[in-house]
Amino acid sequence: MQAESRIGALWQQRMNTLREYDVVRDGNVFGAGLTGTCIFSSEYDNALALLDKLRSQYNGVAFDTLFPGKEVSNEGGTCIALESQHALHTTTVDTDRLTQEMFADLTLVHGVGNVSERRLKARGYQTIADLTEHPKFKTAARQVIERLTRADPDDVMELVGTRHAKSHPFALGTAGSFEAEDYVFLDIETLGLFSRPIILFGVGTIEQDHLIVRQYLLRDICEEAAALTATVGQFSSRNPALVTFNGKAFDLPYIQDRLGYYGLGAISRIPHFDVLHFSRRRWKGLYSSCRLSLLEKEILGVARSDDVPGQMVPEFYETYLKTKNCGPLVPIVDHNRQDVVSLAHLFFYLLGETCGCR
Amino acid sequence: MAVADVVNLLGTNPVYRKRHTCHHVSDPEPARYGTLDLPLPEAINAYLTHSGIQLYTHQCEAINSIRAGKNVIITTPTASGKTLAFNIPVFAGLDANTESRALYLYPTKALSNDQYITLKTMEKFTGIPAKPAIYDGDTPQSKRAAIRENARIVISNPHELHQVLSWHAKWSPFFSNLKFVVIDEAHRYRGVFGSQIALLIRRLLRVAHFYGSDPQFILSTATLANPEEFAGHLVGRPFTLVDADGSPHGTRHFVLYNPFYDGIGERSAHQETKDLLLSCVKGNLQTLCFTGSRKMAELVTIWTREDARRTSARLADSISAYRAGYLPEERRKIEQQLKNGEIRGVVSTNALELGIDIGSLDAVIIDGYPGTMISTRQQAGRAGRKGGESLAVLVAQANPLDQYFMHHPDQFFSRSHEHAIIDTENPYIVSGHLLCAAAELPLREEVDAVFFGSSFEPILAELAESALITKTPRGWVYAGRGRAADAVRLDGMAAESFRIMCHGRLLETMDRNQAYREAHKGAIMLHQGETYLVNEMDLETHMIRVTETDVDYYTQPLKEVNLRIIKTLETREINGVKCAFGDVEVTEQYTGYKIKKGDTILGVEPLSLPPLIFQTKAFWLIVPGNITTSVLAAGLDLAGGLHGAEHALIALMPLHVMCDRWDIGGLSTPAFGENSEPTIFIYDGYEGGIGLAEKAFSLLPALFSDTRDLVRDCPCDKGCPSCIYSPKCGNDNIPLDKEATVKILMGLALLPEKCETIECLTGQEPAAP
Repeated sequence: MQAESRIGALWQQRMNTLREYDVVRDGNVFGAGLTGTCIFSSEYDNALALLDKLRSQYNGVAFDTLFPGKEVSNEGGTCIALESQHALHTTTVDTDRLTQEMFADLTLVHGVGNVSERRLKARGYQTIADLTEHPKFKTAARQVIERLTRADPDDVMELVGTRHAKSHPFALGTAGSFEAEDYVFLDIETLGLFSRPIILFGVGTIEQDHLIVRQYLLRDICEEAAALTATVGQFSSRNPALVTFNGKAFDLPYIQDRLGYYGLGAISRIPHFDVLHFSRRRWKGLYSSCRLSLLEKEILGVARSDDVPGQMVPEFYETYLKTKNCGPLVPIVDHNRQDVVSLAHLFFYLLGETCGCR
Repeated sequence: MAVADVVNLLGTNPVYRKRHTCHHVSDPEPARYGTLDLPLPEAINAYLTHSGIQLYTHQCEAINSIRAGKNVIITTPTASGKTLAFNIPVFAGLDANTESRALYLYPTKALSNDQYITLKTMEKFTGIPAKPAIYDGDTPQSKRAAIRENARIVISNPHELHQVLSWHAKWSPFFSNLKFVVIDEAHRYRGVFGSQIALLIRRLLRVAHFYGSDPQFILSTATLANPEEFAGHLVGRPFTLVDADGSPHGTRHFVLYNPFYDGIGERSAHQETKDLLLSCVKGNLQTLCFTGSRKMAELVTIWTREDARRTSARLADSISAYRAGYLPEERRKIEQQLKNGEIRGVVSTNALELGIDIGSLDAVIIDGYPGTMISTRQQAGRAGRKGGESLAVLVAQANPLDQYFMHHPDQFFSRSHEHAIIDTENPYIVSGHLLCAAAELPLREEVDAVFFGSSFEPILAELAESALITKTPRGWVYAGRGRAADAVRLDGMAAESFRIMCHGRLLETMDRNQAYREAHKGAIMLHQGETYLVNEMDLETHMIRVTETDVDYYTQPLKEVNLRIIKTLETREINGVKCAFGDVEVTEQYTGYKIKKGDTILGVEPLSLPPLIFQTKAFWLIVPGNITTSVLAAGLDLAGGLHGAEHALIALMPLHVMCDRWDIGGLSTPAFGENSEPTIFIYDGYEGGIGLAEKAFSLLPALFSDTRDLVRDCPCDKGCPSCIYSPKCGNDNIPLDKEATVKILMGLALLPEKCETIECLTGQEPAAP
């Protein structure tokens, strides 16, 4: 046997020992240690059983039959887009009330803390506009007013993030600058935690009060560049606002990385509402975790069946690549679609609760 | 004056005198200053003037070549001012173009820290905004983005670079403007590790190329026999060599010290070292002592202190151990105390040979030949403050290499440095890096072949079959389930890892070869100075369970080796002996292990492990009829002679080719192959070969003569660990016949000893002992 012919087998064996999750005994929440993620062994077994079931169920079924979609062509190549429509209840921001609250929040001014605010209010400075008269704070106050009046959502989010927290209701309130059509709800499925291909892009937009979810599913790895281009194309409308769940830490950087990989331009700065952050602020301590699957169950009453655990998506997709049986793709597509839908619902729910019109 | 006194003591004291084998003196050398072709920026000139620095010839040579755009390798000795030689042109470059960036690679954290301080100081004094920063595993998350964007000199290490390359999009400003890559201590990147680094550098160049930059390389290494060749292989570009040292030094004394002068030795070499250290310190010499292991460093320190306490408590306290593993604060404290003279004696491991800023001392004691002339010179080079007299002592252990030098001191002092080998064609190494490269940017044959050499195409095809990479219109995209940079480890080959666990805690990992050899069931294993017993080895899960133990015996595996020649690639005839080099298939099987206490065998246990079969490169020689006839006619054991010759050749191969004993294996038999010829094989212990046998093959006549000299001149009777006994022989050192070995080796090295170009250290005759 030549050296070359053993190399492939050797690397595959090595890869198989690198799993990005640990399978642990049920209930062992410390299983993965501080750095890894874990899935419970019952989840793992159920997922493998599901995989088998799907493979036999969809044996011989063609891709186009199972996933009827539109062929998309762009500079990246070609890929397929699956479309679905969902009912959605949107809420609008009570911008008047919000503006009032923000102008009354003296701590937005640099140098003013909670104690100072109490003192200032006691002395008659009720709004930031009032502070423009104050000898010490007038310059800083004027700057804040300028920023609030300009109302650039990114800039206001930055202001709120510095003075309060990125997840403060005022940050969510910048949604007031957007129309329903501006929002882009995004969730991706990948072959691993980083530096591997994204296999599915779920993009939701609102058209005439409905949520349209477009999913760019890779029939093969060679379609990734096209799917990337198509996805990014959806953020380039007039006034886009990105909405994700943990997208600041995962989805967006991941997409930027893959764009860099193919030598495609990076996405320039875009206002970004990460619903995970706002959810944590709202519900931390009330539920055991802020995972989307849990929140959608508790808040939205959504239950999923035959779902694939996120960490096992790579395994399912790989099975599809190897066997060309489309069965394993079904739960991935369903999972991703539901993620985007729940994300949108959760976003408007929080928006309504925090700064919606009453 | 103090140095001369101690030297005198070594030569006259009755105990020392017997062991004192040879004394070599080299004359003092004055400083030689050079001139620069291009004027330096004013800020740098001011810095030099202010620090009272005048540039030596080699520094000027390096600066001139670098500023002329060449890739340069600097091989002048330790403490010759190499760091300044590359920092100056880098700063000049950063000054000329405000966007330029530089990457500095260091093998250890300690060195990175030291260089950071040096660069920051220089930045402050010159006012040139070099913005140095360390970026490695310890850099906090919060600082990383700022460093990527703004730092102009990034100090890192190969392991971090290996990970960083897949994040290149975040480093876009850095890679777009990368002008210099500085690799210090580059001689460490040789052998298997060096070959991995060489491929890593190819990946770096590929990414830099993608962003439009083509950086210049500056390598700083210890003296090598093949510097240009080495640099060329490491980086893949042609290099200019700067090797003539212009820095000054005083009279240098080098003493060879053999506690086994009578073949037996009264005490261990370490105890002898302790005595020497104490004598030096008492003689008012600040002394640095190098030992082979951390445990030994601590022990020698303890013994020396105990002895010193009999004289005075203060003397005892002035002796300290030093390890790179100490906390930075501890290290700084010891360095400070060395500088102000509070500490008179320091005992360390080889780690200290790396240029940590402790300055120079009066004397250096080296406990056991460190394995290469490079290390020896680097360690000895620590002795001698500017212009001062200095002393270095090499204390020999009872093994063939050390004893060879003791009996042939002229060989030691005239020894040219070893060749550093790098093999960029080993498919096992190349394939791993191709996977990583595919994960960094899509791999394209037309564009990327230039980076990865002639083995690129076949390996690519093989990887494609394994479905780890997928062909797309944009090139080969990495699609493996695991992360490529995690699967490819820079230390070690692409072999399956075994995990050594003690009570659930991971101690270390080993590849299959090492695991079978050192961590089989029942083995006594050493790890960081502690002893462990292997309880269980699970071949399926690749898990080895050990527990701490306190036993006083050790184990040694027994191995059977079989070999098959696949293809002969080259042949030579040397002194009538047919020698060849080519591809072989080796089957190694561990059949059992010995339990030993000291030299006594307590028992032998069987092992049931599957055979290790791998293909590699080897050189072999067929002993001609006239030699075998003379051996048999004298009633000697032919098999024993061949076996002894094999051991001796392996023992001395490191003299010419920088490798570890474990990197090579051997097989000898009186009847090999169809023609039943008496043959000796020496092969690379790594799948695919790593260039060692290949290099040795090209240096055979010299290797034969050295080996002959070693065995012939050994004063022992029937063979000993100093000549033909191998402490790691899988056959229990049976059969061995010293006389037969000598006859065979004499036949191989027929002509009177003809050395290759000798570069004498100084051209002086060694002084008579």
